[in-house]
Amino acid sequence: MKVYVDPERCQGHTLCAMIAPKVFQLDDVDGHSSPISEDVPADQEELVAEAVRSCPERAISLIDEH
Amino acid sequence: MSAQGAPQGEERKRNRYDFDRHAPGYRERFVEITEEMQSRCPVAWSETHGGHWVVSGNRELFEIARSAEYLSNDHDVKGERRGYQGINIPYAKRGKGMRGGFLEMDPPEQRHYRQALNPYLSPAAIQRWIPFLDEVARACIDEKIEQGSIDFIDDLANVVPAVFTLAMMGIPLRNWTIYNEPAHAGVYTRPDSPEMPRVIEMHIAMMRDLAGQLADVRKNPRPGLVDALVHAEINGQTPPDDELLGVLALLIGGGFDTTTALTAHALEWLSENPGERDRLSRERDTLLDSATEEFLRFYTPAPGDGRTISADCELAGTEFKEGDRVWLSWAMANRDPSVFPEPHTVDLDRKGNRHNSFGLGIHRCIGSNVARTAFKRMLLQVLDRMPDYRCDPEGTVHYETIGVIQGMRQLPATFTPGKRLGPGLDETLEILQKVCDEQRLAEPVTVRTTRADIPR
Ligand code: HEM
Ligand code: SF4
Repeated sequence: MKVYVDPERCQGHTLCAMIAPKVFQLDDVDGHSSPISEDVPADQEELVAEAVRSCPERAISLIDEH
Repeated sequence: MSAQGAPQGEERKRNRYDFDRHAPGYRERFVEITEEMQSRCPVAWSETHGGHWVVSGNRELFEIARSAEYLSNDHDVKGERRGYQGINIPYAKRGKGMRGGFLEMDPPEQRHYRQALNPYLSPAAIQRWIPFLDEVARACIDEKIEQGSIDFIDDLANVVPAVFTLAMMGIPLRNWTIYNEPAHAGVYTRPDSPEMPRVIEMHIAMMRDLAGQLADVRKNPRPGLVDALVHAEINGQTPPDDELLGVLALLIGGGFDTTTALTAHALEWLSENPGERDRLSRERDTLLDSATEEFLRFYTPAPGDGRTISADCELAGTEFKEGDRVWLSWAMANRDPSVFPEPHTVDLDRKGNRHNSFGLGIHRCIGSNVARTAFKRMLLQVLDRMPDYRCDPEGTVHYETIGVIQGMRQLPATFTPGKRLGPGLDETLEILQKVCDEQRLAEPVTVRTTRADIPR
């Protein structure tokens, strides 16, 4: 699974990093999010799915590459 | 408020609902009105307040609120552009001639202001203040801990956000009382109330102090949000003082009453649900974040904001014309059953909680990290130091009208007394003022990354 954050949509609500802190990092200056690595470790998939459902701007997508 | 039958006038306004968020019954009938509007007219035309649209459906709100190219927040007080009336519906007479900072601006100016202030308000920037917040909350609770009774509003939830906001701005902490009363009373006092002249006087005193701070920071630079504004270049220019004062007033208005309202409602709910309170305290490591988001969703302290349509368009199946006024109801959209199962129930571990309580799109609350952190630090200390508190429903006073802020004026509670841990509030603020000055706590995160170090 790969995760993307659309920088045009993300407004820095921070919920993703609250839910999956090992996957998302927030910019120190404006709080906008980016994945630490595109590849989602298997044990983080559930949390990332929850972050996708919780992002108020619907900025995150989780893509199954298989 | 009522639904109306036969369509009249323009076809595009056929879904009608007379909506008045200022009506005294709105608080009591909120659920009923929300359900009726969402099921019948998630985007409705209301004849009230000169005629405006009301968006209550979550899907519709998501689409409309994020369509920045068709929306304007502009409040054109001097009639220099298109005469738009900003974010208040109805137009706030008291606010006439006063622009609500960058909340009542469009890009690029609005974006430039945010860029100037973000490094003071980002998650990383706010983290640094946790020891400071804890110390203010500790002192507030120490003032009351031995007597076993507290008013959560006057003695805690008003104080911490006020002191913290001034600290970030770079304004002397002891001035918090100048700002505290007008920031709250200005919201809950009705325009026709006999109290109003006094509230206006306090408001003038607050604006006078703000103007003084602006001048003082120019002369004797010290770090903080005021300093950031003094040096901000907005669209290549240094903005005039009246514009900067509007921004400072927005930071005060945005930061005080909303955070107080969130804290008060959460404390009241936890008193009514002691089993959930104990569970939250026990499982705080996993539950505190989701509980905070759920209180934000359920109580939506800032229930909605207005926009002006800036160009003819069709959004969410409705045809809008340039100049139309639109009310975005964050509060109603937060109760839409198609997104939130059992929307009228508080569920502390709710999943998929994509609430709109900090708005959506480019005006997303720039103070959201301030609000969350201040709320959590206050709540944790209450759970630790007065775990058996009980609010007194007889003494509790909610705002009569929740048109502006879903707030509370009084929330008295009793609890088993405990021991003081340190000095009282006044002495603590003196100590913290020194810490702010010596460690330059109000520098942006780009300059200082370390946490506040509070000697004790
Ligand atoms: C629970 C507490 C809070 C709530 C519910 C809240 C809610 C909101 C909402 C809904 C908006 C968007 C308004 C719109 O789109 O029309 C907003 C914007 C804003 N808030 Fe907050 N707020 C809170 C706390 C704070 C704090 C603590 C501060 C300051 C430190 C603050 C400062 C602002 C500012 C400056 C804006 C304007 C942003 C812009 O226009 O770009 N707010 N807030
Ligand atoms: S939750 Fe969404 S909007 Fe918020 S920081 Fe994460 S990606 Fe950005």
